[in-house]
Formats: sequence, structure tokens, C-alpha cells
Amino acid sequence: MRNILLIARREYLEQIRGKAFRITTIMIPVVFAGIMAVMILPSKYWTTQKDIVVAAQNPALAARLQQQLSADKDAKLTVGVLVPATEADRAKLHAEMDAKKIDGFLWVAAGADGKDDVTYVSRSAGDFTTDDRLDNDVNHALVERRLVTKGIPAAEVGPLTHRVDITTMVYRNGKEEPSSALSTLFFGEAMAFLLTFTVVMYGMNVGRSVIQEKTSRIFEVMLSTVKSTDMLAGKLIGIGAVGLTQILIWIVLGAVLLSSAFVEKWLSGEAKPQVSGVEILLLCIYFLLGYALYSALFAGLAATCDTEQELQQYAPLAAVPVWLSFGMFIYILGNPNSIWSVLISMFPPCAPITMAFRFSAQFPPLWQIALSLALLAVSIYIVLWLSSRVYRVGILMYGKRATLPEMIRWLRYS
Amino acid sequence: MPPVVALSHISKSYESKVAVEDLSLQIEPGSMFGLLGPNGSGKTSSIRMMIGITMPDSGSVSLFGKPYARESLKRVGYLPEERGLYKKMKVMEQLVFMGELRGLDKVTAGKRAHEWCEKLQIMEAVQKKTEELSKGMQQKIQFIATLMHDPELVVMDEPFSGLDPVNASLLQDTLIELKKAGKAILFSTHRMDQVEKMCDTICLIHRGHPVLQGGMREVKSRYERDHVAIDFEGDAGFLQHPAVESFKNYGGYAEIKLRPHADAQDLLRTAIAKAKIFRFELMEPSLEEIFIRTVGGED
Repeated sequence: MRNILLIARREYLEQIRGKAFRITTIMIPVVFAGIMAVMILPSKYWTTQKDIVVAAQNPALAARLQQQLSADKDAKLTVGVLVPATEADRAKLHAEMDAKKIDGFLWVAAGADGKDDVTYVSRSAGDFTTDDRLDNDVNHALVERRLVTKGIPAAEVGPLTHRVDITTMVYRNGKEEPSSALSTLFFGEAMAFLLTFTVVMYGMNVGRSVIQEKTSRIFEVMLSTVKSTDMLAGKLIGIGAVGLTQILIWIVLGAVLLSSAFVEKWLSGEAKPQVSGVEILLLCIYFLLGYALYSALFAGLAATCDTEQELQQYAPLAAVPVWLSFGMFIYILGNPNSIWSVLISMFPPCAPITMAFRFSAQFPPLWQIALSLALLAVSIYIVLWLSSRVYRVGILMYGKRATLPEMIRWLRYS
Repeated sequence: MPPVVALSHISKSYESKVAVEDLSLQIEPGSMFGLLGPNGSGKTSSIRMMIGITMPDSGSVSLFGKPYARESLKRVGYLPEERGLYKKMKVMEQLVFMGELRGLDKVTAGKRAHEWCEKLQIMEAVQKKTEELSKGMQQKIQFIATLMHDPELVVMDEPFSGLDPVNASLLQDTLIELKKAGKAILFSTHRMDQVEKMCDTICLIHRGHPVLQGGMREVKSRYERDHVAIDFEGDAGFLQHPAVESFKNYGGYAEIKLRPHADAQDLLRTAIAKAKIFRFELMEPSLEEIFIRTVGGED
């Protein structure tokens, strides 16, 4: 145990004193804040003005639509009206779009069955925000017109279809707290980003450290004094402690920043994440276990390589679970307790990241957390068992990257 | 006193390749042992088994009179052929770390490291990072790291490779001091000429098999003194004497190999008659020659 701690201390001090630690500790939050700013600010403050035309046969409906769409200040729409619109006008509107005079037009026609037939033709595909607003406003205006058609006085239609803004609260720790989709998104992404970055980066760091020791030919000197398993354990503990230190620095910095007046103002209180002590503790546990899994894997693989370039070829082993987890991001936030969300959060390579998503959406049942931790622990044991055997032989082999059959033979030697 | 190292019939194979086969040897306290042989002959594999980096497939290893146990390694100093240092660490930190791993406490490790650095004249480097040092300087640090915990058994695999003559001489002097202090020293090298003068006992190893073993004097005494080194001035016609089997004439210096049981005294008389002789030395064969004679037929 003494040797494990000595090796862990050496690894810890070497990494903590390194430039890379200082740079990543500062740069990662800056880069993350930058990414968030790029994601949030433009849509909030710098959306461009759009010119659209409402083309309809019914002048009253067209006017109501124009009024509704223009009233939505966030949408930044300039709305023109074309009534009564004919098929020839449609071609004219296309020409105006070609000439970039308008960004799109809303074509409102009565269908053959008497139902309304509404089409939005736009120059840009995938404008979700405008699509969503149009959908809301058009439906609202059409419902109003139908009510008037059914004989309800126009003066009464307004109060009947009056919009209600829903205040979103989240029930947590026995009380209701303000929440919003944006804060959920922000918090989920922040936690996942933090975990992904630290777990994968420090996992790869262990691999890199093994390669450096192999290159510097220090292993044989060390092996005449300490067991290979002690060397591996010391390395994992030392580098893991560096990662934990970095996470704690970020948590403290984050707490200080979130309580500052500047952030309070910037986030308007709406996107301010709600983080409990239990969640921070679990975040740390998931970091440690995720790190242990990836670092054990990369330590074993690194022992079979001679250069960092060779090790890079194994990077997809870490990247695929990360892609998979982030691919499920929106789905998990919307359906945190669905069978797929539960299953992927039980899958050990994805568990740390997907559990972070689930924490931000809805705190999962305790048994699910316990099961995912247990599965993670079992997989760490298996990977560590295999890796330490490959490591024992691999660190003394120089010259070329080992093939799979060679690795299997090494498992037998050990 | 039990031998410091006792290998008994150890063998090791990797797949179909035999690395070591049926090797037995003993190293006594206060002696220098040479494990000699060409590259790839099984020297490093034997040492790795001796200190538990790998396990023998068969046979047994004893250190300090007891069956191999990791605990014994604290009494061993090993300088492998593939040796390295942590490049980013400062010299003193590195030495203290190595000392602590070998069982010293931090204060003692620091004190010993300091003493050794003074002795090997590298005090100006102790606060530098290893990567900033010259290769020779790094070798001195590796040497200190091997010896600073005062091991009773010192194992050195190709210790002189890459060393400049000054450092090689410094290393030799230090090892002789250690031997006088009662330490057992094992050299492993393919450069037999380098350790010939220092070793008390040798084991010549070839393709994993021990081919010649014993005390240096006893091994050499098995071979006739059939080589002559001669410094001369004048006519080299004596090189055509019937006792001469082959020779190399460097002009003023010649090396002669005599025919079996030839009369060297008669050759000397002929040489004196023809040239002025400054030195006429009847030499025993070098270890390298003995090795070549022993395994020559196999190749």
C-alpha cells in the first residue's frame, strides 16, 4: 500500500504542477461558457428580422393573422398581407422570394372538404422557432374565426381564447422550485460536458502516461521494486485525484459565479440551475467510476502500444459511448423514465453521462442509481482484471503494437 | 554464509522460443559474478527471473538463502539494460522517490541522495529536471538510484553501454569499493573484455544454455597460454617460426597465436636473434576467445 501511495503522489504532483492542468482548469469552463453563449445569446438577442406575407382569400382572417404575428415581438416578423390571393399570386410570391424581397409566405386556403389548408413556404428549411410560432398563431386565429362563424360574438371570442402562460415548477426534495426547460437543458448539458470531458480526458491521460513510461524505459527499473499491479493502481489513483481536484475547483468556481450578481442578471433567474448536494456527490462518484472504467481500459491498451499515435487509434472506444449518450440527450430530458432512458443509463460506458442528463430532468429512483453504480463497479472489476494482465506483460514489450491474438496470449502468461 | 543468489535449474520459454534452459548458478557475498554471452543469449531473461519480474517455467530461485519473496527486493539494486528516468522530475525528487520505493524514509533518502551526488560530482544538477541533463549525467543518476538504498546484491545489466571512459572508470571504482564492503555484484554483458579483469566467477551463456561456468582463474587455467604479445624493432622474420600458427603484425607490435604445445621459449630466442625485443608476453586466452572456442562448433 505504501508503494501505491508513493506512486499516486508522484503522479498527482507531476500532473498538478504541469502546464496542461492549469490551462485546462481555466480554459475548459471558458470554452464551455463560450459554447453556451453561442447557443443561447444569438437566438435571444441577435435573431434577424424576417419579412413574410400572409396570402389568404378571407380578408378578416388575413388581418387577424397579421395582427397576431406582428404582436409577437420575439419573433421579429414583418408581416404583409395579400388578399384575395389567387394561384397567379403564388407564382408572384415565388418571384419575390427569388428576388429575396420576402423570406416566406403563409398560404391560407379553404380545402375541398371545407377545412382550412395552411402552408408556410420559406427560403430556409429547419427554422424551428418560426415554424413553431406560426403554428401557434395560425391555429389561434383559425379557432377565433371558427368560433365567430358558429355565432359567438366577436367581442366574446377574445376572452375565450385568451392565452395562459404556464409557470413551470419542479418538485424536488419535498418542495416546489421554479424551473424551466432552458435551465434543465443548461444544467444537463453542463454536467454531461463536465463528466465527458474529465472521464475521457483523464482516462486517456492514464494511457498517455503509460506510453511515456514505456518510451522512457522506466518500467523495468520500477518493476524491480514494485509490483505491476501496484504501479497501475498508483497511477489510476494519482491521476484520478487530479481529475477530482479539477472538478472540485470548477464546482467551487461555479458556485461562486452562480451566486454573483452578474450571472444573476445575465441568466434572468430563469436558466439558473438548481443543484443539490446529493447531486454533486453523485456527480463525483460517477466521475470516479467512469474514470476508473476508461482509465483501466486505456492503461491496458496503452501497454500494448509503443507510441501515442498508436494509442489514438483506440480513441473511438471512448468516443462511441459519448456520441451515443449525447445522441440520446434530448430524448432523455423529455423522457427521463422511459425504458430506453433507463436502459442506456444502466449501460456502464454510457452511465455517467446519461445519468447526468437524468439528474437534470428528474431525479431517478434510488434503486436505478444503485443498480447503475453496481453495474459500473462490476464492469470496472472485469476491465481492470483484464487490463492489469495485459499491462504486466505489455509494459516490457517494445517494438510494435500488439495484435489481438498476442494480447490473448499475454492474458494466459499472467 | 548462504549464497546471495541461488538459481536452481531454471528454464523459461516464450511460445516456441527457449529463452533460458536449465540454468543453475550461485553468487557469494563479496564477489563479482559475470553473466556473459552475446546479445539474445538469455542473460536478461535470467536476471528478470532472478528478481521476480518474470517467473521461471521450472526450477527455483533463492535470494539471501530463502526462496524468492518480493520482500527480498529491498536488498537488491537493479540497473536494467533498458533503464530510464522520469523526465519531468527534478533529480533530487527523483532520487528521494526511488529511495522511498526501496524502503527508505524520506529524510534518509534525501541524505543518501545528497551524499551520492556529492561523491559523483553532480551537485549542480540536483535541482534540474532530468530532461535537461546530458546522457552521461542521467546515467550517474540511474547509478545512484540503484545503489542509494545500500543493497546487498547489485545486479547490473550491460552497465557500461553508452558510458564514456571517465564515467565507466568511476563506475568500476565504485563497484570495486562495494565488493570490498562485502556486497555481491552481478554483471551481465556481451562485452566480455570489459568485465574480464573484475569478475571472480563467470557463467558463459549461449542460446539460453550455460556453456561454461566457474571461477575466473579456474576457467582460464583450463586453457593453454597460447597467445604471445610482442613489441619489437627490426626484422619481423621470426613470425615465420614453425611455432607460429597465425599472427597479426601491426609493425613494431604483433599478436601471435602459437600451435598446440609449441615451444614459446624457442620462438623468443629466434626473435631476439632477429630483432630488438621490448616485450614478450605469453598471454592466456581472453574470455571472448574462450567463448568462441566453446561455442564455435555450434555455429
